[in-house]
Amino acid sequence: MTARSLFIPITLLLVIAFLIGPFLIIVAASFSAGETLAFPPQGFSLRWIAKVFTVESFRASFGMSLFLAIGGTAAALVLGIPASYALSRYKLPGAEIVRTIVSAPIIVPGIIVGLALLRYIVVPFQVGITLALFLAHTALVLPYAVRVVSASLDNLRSDIEEAAVLLGSSRLGAFFRVVMPNIRGGIMSAFILGFVTSFNQVPVSLFLSGPGVRTLPVDMIAYMEIVFDPSVAALSSLLAFLSIGIVFIAERFLGFSRYV
Amino acid sequence: MFQNRAEALALALPAAIFAAAVFLVPVVILLSDGFRAPTGGWTISAYTDFFSNSLNQTVFLRTLRLSALVTVASAVIGYAAAFAIVSLEPGAKGKVTGLVVLPLMISPVARTYAWIVILGRTGIVNQAFQALGITEAPLRILFSETAIFIGLLQLFLPLMIISLISALENMPKDAIPAARVLGANWFQVFWKVVLPLTKEGLVIGGTLVFTGSLTAYITPAILGGSKVLMLETLLYQQVAVSNNFVAASVIAFILIVMSFAANILLKRVATARNKQRSQA
Amino acid sequence: MSDASYLSLEKLTLAYGDSVAVANLDLDIRKGELIALLGPSGCGKTTTMRAIAGLLAVKSGHVRLDGADITRMPANKRAVGLMFQSYALFPHLSVYENVAFGLKLKGMRGTELETKVQSGLKSVGLSTFANRKPAELSGGQQQRVALARSMVMEPKVLLLDEPLSNLDARLRLEMRTELQRVQKETGVTMIFVTHDQAEALALADRIVVMKSGKIEQIGSPEDIYNRPTSSFVADFVGFENIFPLENGKMKTSAGLIDLSGKAPSAAGLAWRPRMVTLGTGPFQGTVRGTSFAGDAREYLLDTALGPIKAEVEASQPPHALGAGLTFDLPAEKAAPLSRFV
Repeated sequence: MTARSLFIPITLLLVIAFLIGPFLIIVAASFSAGETLAFPPQGFSLRWIAKVFTVESFRASFGMSLFLAIGGTAAALVLGIPASYALSRYKLPGAEIVRTIVSAPIIVPGIIVGLALLRYIVVPFQVGITLALFLAHTALVLPYAVRVVSASLDNLRSDIEEAAVLLGSSRLGAFFRVVMPNIRGGIMSAFILGFVTSFNQVPVSLFLSGPGVRTLPVDMIAYMEIVFDPSVAALSSLLAFLSIGIVFIAERFLGFSRYV
Repeated sequence: MFQNRAEALALALPAAIFAAAVFLVPVVILLSDGFRAPTGGWTISAYTDFFSNSLNQTVFLRTLRLSALVTVASAVIGYAAAFAIVSLEPGAKGKVTGLVVLPLMISPVARTYAWIVILGRTGIVNQAFQALGITEAPLRILFSETAIFIGLLQLFLPLMIISLISALENMPKDAIPAARVLGANWFQVFWKVVLPLTKEGLVIGGTLVFTGSLTAYITPAILGGSKVLMLETLLYQQVAVSNNFVAASVIAFILIVMSFAANILLKRVATARNKQRSQA
Repeated sequence: MSDASYLSLEKLTLAYGDSVAVANLDLDIRKGELIALLGPSGCGKTTTMRAIAGLLAVKSGHVRLDGADITRMPANKRAVGLMFQSYALFPHLSVYENVAFGLKLKGMRGTELETKVQSGLKSVGLSTFANRKPAELSGGQQQRVALARSMVMEPKVLLLDEPLSNLDARLRLEMRTELQRVQKETGVTMIFVTHDQAEALALADRIVVMKSGKIEQIGSPEDIYNRPTSSFVADFVGFENIFPLENGKMKTSAGLIDLSGKAPSAAGLAWRPRMVTLGTGPFQGTVRGTSFAGDAREYLLDTALGPIKAEVEASQPPHALGAGLTFDLPAEKAAPLSRFV
């Protein structure tokens, strides 16, 4: 009996230590005063946290990643909301084909998407790297947008739209007056999920980098290959707290986990 | 359900055309590169070339082996963890599940980077081993299959645990007590009752972990270095270092075939299960 | 336009893709009438209602309302109200905003809007609930909001989809009274769809019984209840013993049988269980089942004619299972059926 009652806390302790421990170590290491990455940290200082903000390439790539995460996700929603609406409310010929095409980018490894885009869009059509990254991140987020928005549309009765039409609204008006307000939580959740996915994405962006144009995670990998100081740890900690904070707020106000 | 076809197409086509143009068409052309003969026509010689190279064989087998090992390990640990979590009180259950999900919000780069601090020459593990007198010189753990295995396991274990938690929660509440009353020991309870009833969750989790490991780039890139390659890092090298786009296409095709196979398996098992239910 | 055809459906054919749901339907409805479309699921009653509302495109034929052909008129221009079976309240809007929704779209603002919405809410007894969200109301209250939301628009026709089916017995009576009152006060033409004959009989001025996309019979509740003209309608309103006639003789599994009394010239005859005489008569049966229903006792008899259902006053002495009984199907009591299907 004692063996069994010990099983639960010990298992949980080990598993959580394995999953969370490394992250805590990174956080501790980012407050180190020493020159190299080490744990336990040598002394305490905020110098590496401060340094993150002074590295020019981090600032540029952070801006790029933020632009891709916000712009790409917004574009994916602009494409994805009407598509989800068609899939959930209409008898669409070839609905399964459409669903497969828009959700395919989730199945194919990102590195292949990035390479294909480089070889057959960027090079032949002389597309700029920034635009290519934007297209890639939009395609990458599209499956999530369609999945989450479809789920909240499926949970909403469709007869409220008919009711709105019979009360004098146009079909488009009914969408904006009674559908949108009721799937707002789903759209916000899709946005946050898309944002986090896009922001953390590496493989798609690997080949799509040019002089001064890089996403933040790719830039971090490049940096850590050259410099072995705790600034990447500091940056990782900052980013982690940022995304945990966003998801925590989203859960608090939207019930985020209901949608994803 | 609205009937107007033109409206439906107008709504759905922009997304479909975008995904086809930006994603589907380029990827299909890329995949076809590996089957194109330099003289025109079609050939599979790129594939025979690829597999006759012993380095490629090693990488291919290593990728399969590591993905399989990570999947098995995550299933074993996942069952123990999921069992422990579902047996908690509702409040504690939510908090612990939150802790399990938390790493998924953190950038994989950050999560993988942590292992450098832990597994490096002067990392925690080596410090501990030397302090305890287990080894004298620092062990070389980083840039090895072990390091990749640990990194992948940490990256994907949460997905398995979540799948198994929902599978265990959907299991009929009385199944385990019923089996116990009928005289099954704990091993039999797991093998004959829990495993069949949570098979679906296991397959979903397993597919996520397997395809995730198969197509992971960050972990082998950071923890494997340039020597211990997996298919994704090999693909990167073929392009970035060797400029060998045919080999890249071959690797891409192999990766896609393997992840599609895993996904089809998932659908198969899930639908087989649904059929059983609807017949019942 | 005559008064007898305020709303008229002419040769109306409706289809989902290639499958025809309603074929060549003709129906004239008077202004201020309360009509029930009655039939089992799949009979085309809901399809017909959706076509009147403009939610379903008409394949052929015409819909005319108040002298205008509205066959191709968009749903939002028709002045037709619909109370959905699920009520279809807007979950994100308060009760007040739900009722104000259509009025605002008409451009109504300020005190005019306020007054109109408040009087709408008052008429259904929900003035104090104006700021609640639909989810905070009971089913009965939600339905009254839906009624008010439709009625403030002053529709020419109000359609109601299974208006009483989601309510419990007590609320059902309440809502039935409410609908009759609203109809009397406003004089609005009402068409409601139902599969429940009791609901149709209790509420409607006229009942349209539908089957497989066609009208089976139109008549007053008394007509439908007492004088069904087809075996389908007879069965639907509770005539449980139905037989075809051939040359004045009843056609049964035991062959052609003479009836006591003179059989009318009809295609078939139908008796309610109440109309079967037990204890005397030319026929023999064995009690196979019996059930006590308070004021009455029901018997299921095995007979040479086939199974017969009979019902007698509970005060009569009971018959045991397996007992042999004589009985009669008196021809003069039977409802003559002009169509046997």
